[in-house]
Amino acid sequence: MGAYLSKRLSYIMIILAAASLMIFCLYAMTPGDFISSNIKLSAERKAELREIYGLNRPVLERYWTWLTHALRGDLGYSLAQQRPVLALFNTYIWNSFLLAVVSTFFTWVIAVIVGVVAAYRQYSWFDTLVMIVIFGAMSIPSFFIGLFLIKIFAVDLHLLPPGGITTTGSNAVGWAHVQEVIKHMTLPVAVMTLLGTGSLTRYFRSNMIDVIRQDYIRTARAKGVKESKVLFGHALRNAMLPAITLVGFELPALFGGSLIIEKIFNWPGIGQLYIQSFGQRDYPLLMGFTMLIAILTVIGTLLSDVLYRIADPRVKL
Amino acid sequence: MKKGFVILSGMVLASSLALAACGSDEAAQNAAAPSGAESVSSGDAGSGAEAQPAAQTTADAIQASDMSKLPSVAQQRTDTIIVGLTDPSGAFTPYFHQSGYDGNVSSLLYQSLLTVDDQGLPVGNLAESYEVSDDEKTYTFHLPKDAVFSDGSPLTAEDVAFTWTILHDKAYDGDSQIPELGIVGGADYKAGKADSVSGIKVIDPQTVSVTLENVDASAILQLGGDVLSKAYYGKDYKFGELEYIKKLHENPLGNGPYKLEKFIPGQEVRMIANDKYAKGKPATEHFIYKTSEGDAWQFVETGEIDYSSFAATQENLDKIKGLGFLSTVPYTPSTYGYLTLNHEHKQLQDKAVRQALTYGLDRQSIYVDANQGAGEVANIPTSPISWSYTTENINPYAYDPDKANQLLDEAGWVAGSDGIREKDGQKLTIHYLGRKSPDTDVFIALAEENYKAIGVDFQPEVLADFNALVSKVEGGDYDMAAFSTAMMTDPSEGITQFIDGEVLGYDNPEVTKLNKEALAVTDTAKRKEIYQKLYEVVNDDLPVIFTNYRKIVYAYNGRIENVTVSPFTGLADGLSEWTLK
Repeated sequence: MGAYLSKRLSYIMIILAAASLMIFCLYAMTPGDFISSNIKLSAERKAELREIYGLNRPVLERYWTWLTHALRGDLGYSLAQQRPVLALFNTYIWNSFLLAVVSTFFTWVIAVIVGVVAAYRQYSWFDTLVMIVIFGAMSIPSFFIGLFLIKIFAVDLHLLPPGGITTTGSNAVGWAHVQEVIKHMTLPVAVMTLLGTGSLTRYFRSNMIDVIRQDYIRTARAKGVKESKVLFGHALRNAMLPAITLVGFELPALFGGSLIIEKIFNWPGIGQLYIQSFGQRDYPLLMGFTMLIAILTVIGTLLSDVLYRIADPRVKL
Repeated sequence: MKKGFVILSGMVLASSLALAACGSDEAAQNAAAPSGAESVSSGDAGSGAEAQPAAQTTADAIQASDMSKLPSVAQQRTDTIIVGLTDPSGAFTPYFHQSGYDGNVSSLLYQSLLTVDDQGLPVGNLAESYEVSDDEKTYTFHLPKDAVFSDGSPLTAEDVAFTWTILHDKAYDGDSQIPELGIVGGADYKAGKADSVSGIKVIDPQTVSVTLENVDASAILQLGGDVLSKAYYGKDYKFGELEYIKKLHENPLGNGPYKLEKFIPGQEVRMIANDKYAKGKPATEHFIYKTSEGDAWQFVETGEIDYSSFAATQENLDKIKGLGFLSTVPYTPSTYGYLTLNHEHKQLQDKAVRQALTYGLDRQSIYVDANQGAGEVANIPTSPISWSYTTENINPYAYDPDKANQLLDEAGWVAGSDGIREKDGQKLTIHYLGRKSPDTDVFIALAEENYKAIGVDFQPEVLADFNALVSKVEGGDYDMAAFSTAMMTDPSEGITQFIDGEVLGYDNPEVTKLNKEALAVTDTAKRKEIYQKLYEVVNDDLPVIFTNYRKIVYAYNGRIENVTVSPFTGLADGLSEWTLK
């Protein structure tokens, strides 16, 4: 295990180094730079600013500068926002995380329960209904369902706020603040859950169906174990094993924000910040964010491998 | 329009002024591209490929008709006005922010020396008066005796001199044009050869003067900008090191109608009335810029924001009327849209071809009708709200394919077997670049048809975003590309692109000469005459194809009274008078 981990960690370093170079070059090669969109500047001033920001240097030199700073934990200042990249992350990522973690929780709970029941009652009317609903939910674009819910619950019924994370101008603290946030996150969480549940339910359903047919389930039943214990104790445990892989993939998603949902619900998350920074070619922020996601992705993969090993003694690392 | 940041063109009466105006309209136009007035987009007008020629009702202001429909959220908000703003970043120091939305915020936190009237002419604001020397190179500003910043510290000529000086620092990376005005001694300071800018003189605590190397009539608008406190912003200043300013961005010290109370990134900028404001404490205690990227409608309809701007399409106007609790102010931004032409390409060097391309393009259908009336056809490089605007002796180039065909025939372009005109073995092709947007789609659909009718092979290419478009245009691989100017205050801003090589390969000595003349006098009446001549020349020569002006409405909650909005400076000047019923 120790040898395995150290080998994996050295791979991770190599992967991250290669990824950072590639990502840096891709951003550098995207047409236009931070200066070019400012139509107010004269050509001379543009050249002067490119000199100040170092944008006129060769890409590899710029990469080296970025890398040496990044290794010291300095991701630089956002050009557009004029604030340290890490401070910006700290401001925005937790808002995205809040949405992601709550909706992920609901998604998994619903998907597991519905998936198990649908598998147990395969081809029943419940199973059919679930499949229809799931395919329906998966096919509706998120922006449509988001706007539709805003129209119904915020604009027409005045039940929930149309967007944001708190009421504008609100000075609520403590429990009142928590209630306010819960009210604001209801719609976005509902949409994210609705969209995420579909594929996950199908995943659990098919895993369960596989497991239920196994000999050891029949053995358990033959021993007279209660049906609910068979399902949730024996079958689900085994059906969940492949899902550990998914846990690893969820990790970057938890911090990566959601571009569309955040935009529709005016949620001050990192996804919005990222897409806007891309339009501005705000290189330090783009680099910092993409690398963060890259790091979370490799850590997530490592995590799921290790977890798999812990959960399933048959797997050798 | 989306991403990017509000960038304004040319000179700006203190970046904040134009920024303010620009930002506030762009901002509210929901997905409005911050990239200022970049290309011909019209916010949420996207829906309308359908022509509605009758939709010309924008000039009338709508009055709130049924305040009983006012949502309770707004009813209960008795001491706070909330306005949507796309995305302020928190860098609220004038001259130092990179986003125009921050300019909107700082325009309320700082009061500029001068402002402009509804035609874009400078008038006193913080400064009681200013005068121009006989040689028209020296400007002297007079400050009131009791001017103070919001913390009570005095605002004097030293602060003004400090502000102008720090912009000449070699590390300055903002987009103020003051360092490029040619202030005497500015270059030496920037090069580190002098300890101060010799052309900037503090005469007494209330009087400061600045001398330019050459007469520049547009300079006054830039010099009349915001003032930074020397005691606050200059405390740690060393030449060549401006990093420390970034730490002060979130704690601005100004002299404007409002003070910053709290900035919540991605959510809101809370401001509180400044009781030391020179024009008196604002009538409404709290003002909030709410970050609202995306559709502003949902927030206006639910009463969460009090003020927003929309493209003046029939659809939007009907919706505003239907809501009942909104009033409007119609507004034409001081920008113009154009199709830049690449004069390095031979076919476009012939004036007749450029004229034919203009006659042959149905601009009324593309920019007005398809936009449900939220536009107007442009023919000169200035805005209808500017003092320099004229229609006298200006050719309107009404859509006339026959005239276009005739011009091309005369110029020797003969239709080939495929219907495309040729001359000297070269086909008449137009490689067009545009930025992805609903307006670009409309343009391409109609232009393709229009140009086919006059034997021009129109080849559109759509770029993903504004930076990509700019970068492609800089590469020179195009014949025609769609842009809009940023907000202009001085008419010279609309001309610069014909002089400085921005319109590739264009060089007309007459335009250059008239532009110089118009900047070499500061008298507005004389300048107006020169611009009249200049516009006639440009209107005939067509360095670019002038396309459109945008039409916008500001919609505001009917419970606000005394609403005035300047087309140039946005909310800043009138906001302190807005009262809540």
